[in-house]
Amino acid sequence: MIDYLARRLLIMVPTLVAISIITFIIIQLPPGDYLSTLIAEMESQGEAVDQAKIDALRSQYGLDKPYWQQYVVWAFGMLQGDFGYSFEYQLPVTDVVGDRVALTIVLNFTTIFFIYLVSFPIGIYSATHQYSVGDYSLTFIGFLGLATPNFLLALILLYFANVWFGTSIGGLMDPSYIDQPWTWGKILSVLEHLWVPVVVIGTAGTAAMIRRLRANLLDELQKQYVITARAKGLPPFRALMKYPLRMALNPFIADIGNMLPQVVSGSAVVAMVLSLPTTGPMLIGALQSQDMYLAGSFLMFLAILTVFGMLLSDLALAWLDPRIRLGGGTAR
Amino acid sequence: MKAVSRLIRTLLPGQAVYAGALVTAAMLGTPAGAAEPPVLADRVGSGALPEMAARLPTEPLVVDLADENKEPGSYGGTLEMVMGRAKDSRQMVVYGYARLLGYDPATFELQPDLAAEVIVDANRSFTFVLREGHRWSDGAPFTAEDFRYFWEDVANNEELSPTGPPSSLLVNGEAPLVEILSSTRVRYSWTQPNPDFLPKLAGARPLYLYRPAHYLKRYHTRYADQDELKAHVEEAQARSWAQLHNRADNMYKFDNPTLPTLQPWRATTKPPSNRFVFERNPYYHKVDSTGRQLPYIDKVVFQIASSGLIPAKTGAGESSLQARYLSFDDYTFLRQGEERGGYETYLWRTAKGAHVALYPNLNIEDPEWRALMRDVRFRRALSLAVNRREINEVIYFGLALGGNNTILPDSPLYRAEYRDRWAAFNLEAANRLLDEIGLTERNDQGIRLLPDGRPAEIIVETAGESTEETDLLELLHDTWARAGIKLYTRPSERTVFRNRIFAGQTMMAVWFGLENGVPSANSSPSEFAPTAQTQYMWPRWGQYYQTKGKAGEAPDLPEATELLSLYDEWRGSQSVAGRTEIWHRMLKIWTDQVYTIGLVAGVLQPVVVDLELHNVPVQGVYNWDPGAHFGIYRPDTFFLGPARPRTSEEVLTAAVRDRR
Repeated sequence: MIDYLARRLLIMVPTLVAISIITFIIIQLPPGDYLSTLIAEMESQGEAVDQAKIDALRSQYGLDKPYWQQYVVWAFGMLQGDFGYSFEYQLPVTDVVGDRVALTIVLNFTTIFFIYLVSFPIGIYSATHQYSVGDYSLTFIGFLGLATPNFLLALILLYFANVWFGTSIGGLMDPSYIDQPWTWGKILSVLEHLWVPVVVIGTAGTAAMIRRLRANLLDELQKQYVITARAKGLPPFRALMKYPLRMALNPFIADIGNMLPQVVSGSAVVAMVLSLPTTGPMLIGALQSQDMYLAGSFLMFLAILTVFGMLLSDLALAWLDPRIRLGGGTAR
Repeated sequence: MKAVSRLIRTLLPGQAVYAGALVTAAMLGTPAGAAEPPVLADRVGSGALPEMAARLPTEPLVVDLADENKEPGSYGGTLEMVMGRAKDSRQMVVYGYARLLGYDPATFELQPDLAAEVIVDANRSFTFVLREGHRWSDGAPFTAEDFRYFWEDVANNEELSPTGPPSSLLVNGEAPLVEILSSTRVRYSWTQPNPDFLPKLAGARPLYLYRPAHYLKRYHTRYADQDELKAHVEEAQARSWAQLHNRADNMYKFDNPTLPTLQPWRATTKPPSNRFVFERNPYYHKVDSTGRQLPYIDKVVFQIASSGLIPAKTGAGESSLQARYLSFDDYTFLRQGEERGGYETYLWRTAKGAHVALYPNLNIEDPEWRALMRDVRFRRALSLAVNRREINEVIYFGLALGGNNTILPDSPLYRAEYRDRWAAFNLEAANRLLDEIGLTERNDQGIRLLPDGRPAEIIVETAGESTEETDLLELLHDTWARAGIKLYTRPSERTVFRNRIFAGQTMMAVWFGLENGVPSANSSPSEFAPTAQTQYMWPRWGQYYQTKGKAGEAPDLPEATELLSLYDEWRGSQSVAGRTEIWHRMLKIWTDQVYTIGLVAGVLQPVVVDLELHNVPVQGVYNWDPGAHFGIYRPDTFFLGPARPRTSEEVLTAAVRDRR
């Protein structure tokens, strides 16, 4: 086990290096750099920008160096916990990100929790009562959730939350609590605002989860061991929970690795619409203005999440399902 | 007592004095201290802050509210606004609008503001007289030393300004002669006239001639203790002292809470944040006629939200004053929410020459197309083939103005022909002109063929920022097709969009029209002559002018060179009559040559004002420069009080009925 863990951790190093190089290249791909954004802005404000000034700015921002040098500076800085400097905000990246990461994690874990909470009972019910009226109507609602555009649902919920409950529009807390220390009132305000994005981001995920759980469970329920268990007089609930459901869960555990970054980046569009103080809108802004260190650090953060998520899900899978062996060689 | 405001005397031919109200606080007859803002009372009481009389300059600027049709206000309150980006903290400088000189909203003439007086001699020499006892927001005196520091230690410091003083301070490459005459007198002079100088100082994004020297010196290698400076640089992860200095010195960006300011409100929030708080500047230089120190409002808060949500937030009453990020299509929604949100929606006129205009690229690479674009008959035909009435009715409920990209009826220089010539929908005339050019061959779809056999397909590029433009081009597509011209729309991204135009790859661009659609004879006509690369119909000619011939191409159409020489003539002209005449000659060429094809203008701007917010004019002009959006209406005189009765529908929609 320890041997396996060490091997997996070692493999992560070249993977992350490769990802960092690819990330850096992708950020550099669009034409222009942060300076073109800056110059466009200065010009649109009526400031004349001549070539000499552009060159001066370029060297001030360190953009006159060759790409590989810029990469090396960034990569080695990251190893020491220095994620570089955001051009746009004129601050170190870590300061810019601030408590956005914490709020993102709160939002996304609540969303995952919401998805599980809603989809498990429904999925199990749909599978055990296949083709019943309940199955059809829940499936219908699920598809509705899958088909409704996120941003539209977000706007509608926002409007009604405002009209009915007087919740302020957008954001994760009432404007008066922004930048204030955490108090009970602030936590309540966050909870009051949290449900809209959770429901919006959760609906599509819930629908997909219900369908997958239903399909997996249906496969299992028809297997012979279930029939045997039932024939032996095992109570129906226990006959369902003990093995078929556990088997049906495997794909979900295997999915955790994908789910983490998906939820983090997938909520970006909704976060933009709802103007949530999470990482999504900031990443999009950074990519638009080619604020390369900020964008790069975000992408690396996502990459690290994916890589670790994969490891976690592999370990959890092995723990949950004794049939799975770690590493091909030791299986025999 | 009536303040002597708006005083512009012509002393000698060519010499003008911009003088403000010459009334001292003591002369006003109100006991000093009685009018102390309550929010400052504690600090004044404990001695942390001097009393009001000591904070004000000896000659504060006295605002005559009655003269501006405003009510005298009371202190206090928080003005909530919503902005789209953290960068919008700079809007506080725009709205605050404390400049050396500022525009008067009624006449668009310049009035002294921070400066007590500005003495202009033949547009060559400008003497600024500062207010005795004027102070920065941290209490340090604002004197000529701040001007000297800017000129000697910032503008002419090789590390801080590697390219020398700002190009807007150079007249044909000539740097100004800067003289510090006394602690309150500074003179800028050139050997040639510089008529753009004062408007630049009064701009929405102003040219700053001063810096808070006492604060910035700690970051300047010439003044600071070297070891301390080094520690500062390392702590801030800056590359050099110059970078650190530049980072601290953001008078316009307004993102450094420690930087002293002269604006009515000072920044207190350090970015990044989603909520920016600005507090009253206790040393602001203005008082109302009862002796109360402005601004009335204690605090301004910018809440940052995604720009798409701002109309919804405003409709829910979360903003007390909002126009930025609202557009005309939000009007009905905003009106609907008035009752619940406790606000009113005003409609202000805009001052852009056109809300949307097409820019045929006269510098396009393709020789065949270049020849066509330069043919005035082609441009006229394209303009005649636009059904502006249809566009107006379909997209703007018929409330916009049709016509060319030119000056608006609000301008004293306006003549109806400037707006209407070559702008009436006349397909017959358009087709006749195109036939005349020789584009008579057509393909099987009825599209005209160029001399080399290619179909006449024009790709119009947009910056991809609004669906309004694409909707509009869709309508245009149908009428141009009837003239035998096929139109394609290509959305892109702003930087790419501009670079393609500069490189001559774009055939035609769609963008806003002229920035200043309400010029007077004294406003610069530079937008009408090839003087900037960002004039999308002739980017290379503009670049040639900007770089003094180092890049770009010299204009080679006689009319364009004539516009340029008229512009130079305007710069040298001293009399209003002479300038008026030059303006009309330029406008005549501009109208006749149809360099840009204006589609609609005068789209109204919704302005949401909380019922508790007083002194915001119901009718106004919403413009960037001159105007600074709310700036010229002086938000320092706005105040929060008991709810106003709702304005009658007739007054509220007067701007609309003008159009009908």
